[in-house]
Amino acid sequence: MTTYTPNMNEMGSGTAVPPSPTPQTDILRTAETLRWQIGQNFHEQLMEDIYTEAARIADRAVTRPNEKPRFDLDRTIDRIVTSRIWGFPLMVLLFTVVFWLTISGANIPSGWLSALLLDTVHPLLKAGAAAIHMPWWLSGLLIDGMYLATAWVVSVMLPPMAIFFPLFTLLEDFGYLPRVAFNLDNVFRKSGAHGKQALSMMMGFGCNAAGVVATRVIDSPRERLIAIITNNFALCNGRWPTQILIATLFIGGLVPAYLAGLVSALAVVSIAVLGVLLSFALSWGLSRSILKGEVSTFSLELPPYRPPRVWQTIYTSVIDRTLIVLWRAVTFALPAGAIIWLMANVTIGGTSIAEYLINFLNPLGLLIGLNGVILVAYIVAIPANEIVIPTILMLTVLVTGITGVGAGAGVMFDMNGSAMKGLLDTGGWTLLTAVNLMLFSLIHNPCSTTIYTIYKETGSKKWTLIASLLPVAMGFIVTFLVAQVWRLVTG
Amino acid sequence: MTTSNKINSHTASECATCPAHHAGNLLKLGVDMSDFDYVVALAGNPNVGKSTVFNALTGLRQHTGNWPGKTVARAEGGFSYGDGRYKIVDLPGTYSLLSTSKDEEVARDFILFGQPDVTIIVVDATRLERNLNLVLQVLEITDRAVIALNLIDEAKRHGLEVDERRLARDLGVPVVPMAARQGEGIAELLQAVHEVTTGQTVCKPHRVKSESTAVRHALDKLVQQLLAQFPSLPNARWVALRLLDGDQRIVEAVCSGEIDDLISQEPVQRPEDLLITLEAA
Amino acid sequence: MPDPLISLVVAGLLMGLSALIFWPEKGLLARWQNNRQITHRILGEDALKHIHKCDIKGRRPTMESIAGSLHIGTNETAVLINELQSQNLVQVVDGDIHLTLQGRDSALHIIRAHRLWERYLAEETGYSEADWHGQAERFEHQLSADELDVLAAQLNYPTHDPHGDPIPSASGEMVAHGGQPLTALPLDAPGQIVHLEDEPPMVYAQLIAEGLHVGMPVRVTEVTAERIRFWANGDEHILAPIFANNISVVALPEAPPQPEVESASLNDLQPGEAAEVLSISPNCRGMERRRFLDLGILPGTIIQAEMHSPGGGTTAYIIRGALIALREQQANYIKIKRQQPEVAV
Repeated sequence: MTTYTPNMNEMGSGTAVPPSPTPQTDILRTAETLRWQIGQNFHEQLMEDIYTEAARIADRAVTRPNEKPRFDLDRTIDRIVTSRIWGFPLMVLLFTVVFWLTISGANIPSGWLSALLLDTVHPLLKAGAAAIHMPWWLSGLLIDGMYLATAWVVSVMLPPMAIFFPLFTLLEDFGYLPRVAFNLDNVFRKSGAHGKQALSMMMGFGCNAAGVVATRVIDSPRERLIAIITNNFALCNGRWPTQILIATLFIGGLVPAYLAGLVSALAVVSIAVLGVLLSFALSWGLSRSILKGEVSTFSLELPPYRPPRVWQTIYTSVIDRTLIVLWRAVTFALPAGAIIWLMANVTIGGTSIAEYLINFLNPLGLLIGLNGVILVAYIVAIPANEIVIPTILMLTVLVTGITGVGAGAGVMFDMNGSAMKGLLDTGGWTLLTAVNLMLFSLIHNPCSTTIYTIYKETGSKKWTLIASLLPVAMGFIVTFLVAQVWRLVTG
Repeated sequence: MTTSNKINSHTASECATCPAHHAGNLLKLGVDMSDFDYVVALAGNPNVGKSTVFNALTGLRQHTGNWPGKTVARAEGGFSYGDGRYKIVDLPGTYSLLSTSKDEEVARDFILFGQPDVTIIVVDATRLERNLNLVLQVLEITDRAVIALNLIDEAKRHGLEVDERRLARDLGVPVVPMAARQGEGIAELLQAVHEVTTGQTVCKPHRVKSESTAVRHALDKLVQQLLAQFPSLPNARWVALRLLDGDQRIVEAVCSGEIDDLISQEPVQRPEDLLITLEAA
Repeated sequence: MPDPLISLVVAGLLMGLSALIFWPEKGLLARWQNNRQITHRILGEDALKHIHKCDIKGRRPTMESIAGSLHIGTNETAVLINELQSQNLVQVVDGDIHLTLQGRDSALHIIRAHRLWERYLAEETGYSEADWHGQAERFEHQLSADELDVLAAQLNYPTHDPHGDPIPSASGEMVAHGGQPLTALPLDAPGQIVHLEDEPPMVYAQLIAEGLHVGMPVRVTEVTAERIRFWANGDEHILAPIFANNISVVALPEAPPQPEVESASLNDLQPGEAAEVLSISPNCRGMERRRFLDLGILPGTIIQAEMHSPGGGTTAYIIRGALIALREQQANYIKIKRQQPEVAV
């Protein structure tokens, strides 16, 4: 095939053009013929014409200062926040402050809310139900099931989000966040992701559902999907308490008391870091396998700095992000609470459904270093990770048959550290169970709020399914491997 | 939720030279968009303060992050001004209308098929050239537009001077300098919108000439054919351009004759003596 | 509780097995699907395509050439041709194989499908150039005429595939590129690449590796029996004639004013330096190219480098008043001419 002497203007019989030509189809035919004449770079010529014209008009209307201004505030700030020396330390400092404010600031209102919703309103509701002679199953289902789960979610979730999101939004409105994406872009580029994923990830530490929404700023289809699918590995607010609790009870307990705080904090941080590393690894894998065919582009505009309007920002971020996310969480917590209560209270042949399930899942749970109780808790806690620990406690009491602890079948409860450790030990927990629970809490399916959000954002069942199942499969593999190696080593 | 907080046209007390001085009050209607008389589209590049203008007009508080492309969905609100009730639609921020990304399609389709009575194009006075690209594209589609020359305060701070009269003359549509964050220029913008919707101002938008003779020739031929079929098509040249570019949506609209519907709603011709020439504005 | 060692081994085996089965492209499942697709119908369609190609190139299709291009035996080919004949798609007259009108319609449909699909892959997906042809070879047999019309509309009715081959319109209209082989271009005359032959894949891979693309301006500076030396879009290339023959060019009417100089890419700008855009590489296509245009990156645009990311790899540029960060690989697409002569550092 050395020479190519093509046959000009081949004609075939038409299939697409309707048999009776109308003036409209005539126009389209003309357009089609003309398209061959005007050449392939027509579109670009058009853009060039428009931009040339825009430049001409702008030039006539704008008078520029003769000399460059001596001091350009934007450039000066940019030079500091993206400098080789100060760029990263400044970033770390800012985000440490944000997270510290969130964690330490949220404790107090969280305490108030749980005192109000769990310790005050709940007994009142129970008393009220008793006063009007509500049947026990109805008050159990409504108050112990649905109300309690929702109250739990609200009291754990609301305060940190109400602090984290406004702070984050202030940084966003100021214009700092695009600079963070700019600074971190190289790491993300190497794993096939977009620099702006740094921000959706950061947002994910507050709440994965909000993190998924935040991926909207990524305008490249492939990178946006990567950011959505891997967002789950940013350890969200709902999972921090689980991590901290288990680390304190089981890992802090391994070392002398004066080291306990430090060691358990280290354990939690390493889980969070592991999550970040996993999301890089998964980004890398995804961009080279199932997402290979998706379009990938990159553009990152660094907008001018603008002083944020503090009050409006707080107002809008509470409305926009916090309440919307909370509302979604509540709509999922209500039915989940009902299911948890029913599972613990509907019995078949004297055994509750929960116990059947636990016994059924126990072999699998033990194989991966967990147990049936934990697996069941994770299944019913799909709506919100916040209720995992109270559910585990309630189910452990149910299975072990311990008396004098808890508030009855299907009623979630909390308790102090040493008592909890005792209860879990009775439930057969070991150090391996604790480590694997921490791992599984990081690597499992997103909560239903997040799954729903992923569906809303991608509009695709396929990607929603992948984003939901991939992490849980990874979780099973990781915990399985850890369990087997652990058992090999410890004999 | 109806947030009808009546405010005085805020400049009335401080600025007697305002064109809006005597032109009725702005009534922010929030999400109440019932029985509107006019539809206003709000277009603009990302991050030029489009949402701020939207919020200032409707009293809503749409989130306005300092992020290009923050408004992803289309937001709607209402306001009334003078004796007219307006529905305003905040379109996604785009750099262009020609590249068929999802956002651009939403914006383009609304300006063309939504047939707004006026399109406000918010532009950033500090980056006029970049913003005019979109302006010129919008002006190809519609001839009822008002330019909101936003961030004029920022431009001044950078030592830039923008001659809005010159700009208005070159573009053929009203240009209103404003600083939306400070609430400056809102009244003037409303007045300009009012005048365009009621036909007191008639726009003669600037249209870009193609540099290439082949393209000009092709365009002439196609425009001729289009006008033969749809005699009063206001933007035949633009439709021809889109056909040559193979724009699926426009091909469909021509094929189905939908493009013809766009003509029927042209505003009634107004007597010449009502015209306010833009130079005098 | 199973023994941990055994369960590890079992799990390892299970995972290896599932990788063997489900691995994309190379796994058993993918191969099985692939093989299943080479059906009788597909062989027939490929034969029609081959005959049509021979017609266009003015060569005589034979049983042997068909057998060779389809990788099947001559006996099988004979059966195939008989079948096509009975379907009234080909006619065999005196041993010469011809397409009937109906047969040519079918062939054009397959070509349209192939080229549209390549265009689709180039414009709307992230697959790399090397993957296009293979994928199109598969999808050309799966798309109906109606589906092609939808695809064409979605792609804004393209006239050419990414290799520069014309895409037949739904009614069978097609204007060929009318180019000549690069070796035929007179020395020092300006030309433009209009087509890159994508078969055989080995040669095409070499052309891609050289960074050559349809639309690039070229100028040949030396032709010998062993090699051809030419400039394309600011870079010099040396190729063996056999490779250069797979590049088709058209002569351009007038000489570009400036002499060829090794052009710089946007990457070469240091913070503070400004340059004028000469061109965007044709290699940058689809959404990425449109994004560039949207951002106002066009020939003639002045761009100033502003700052490097402290992490490296990304640089922020001032483009028409806005500060926009681009990655190294993207900046490479943009050829520039420095504004001022380089200042000694």
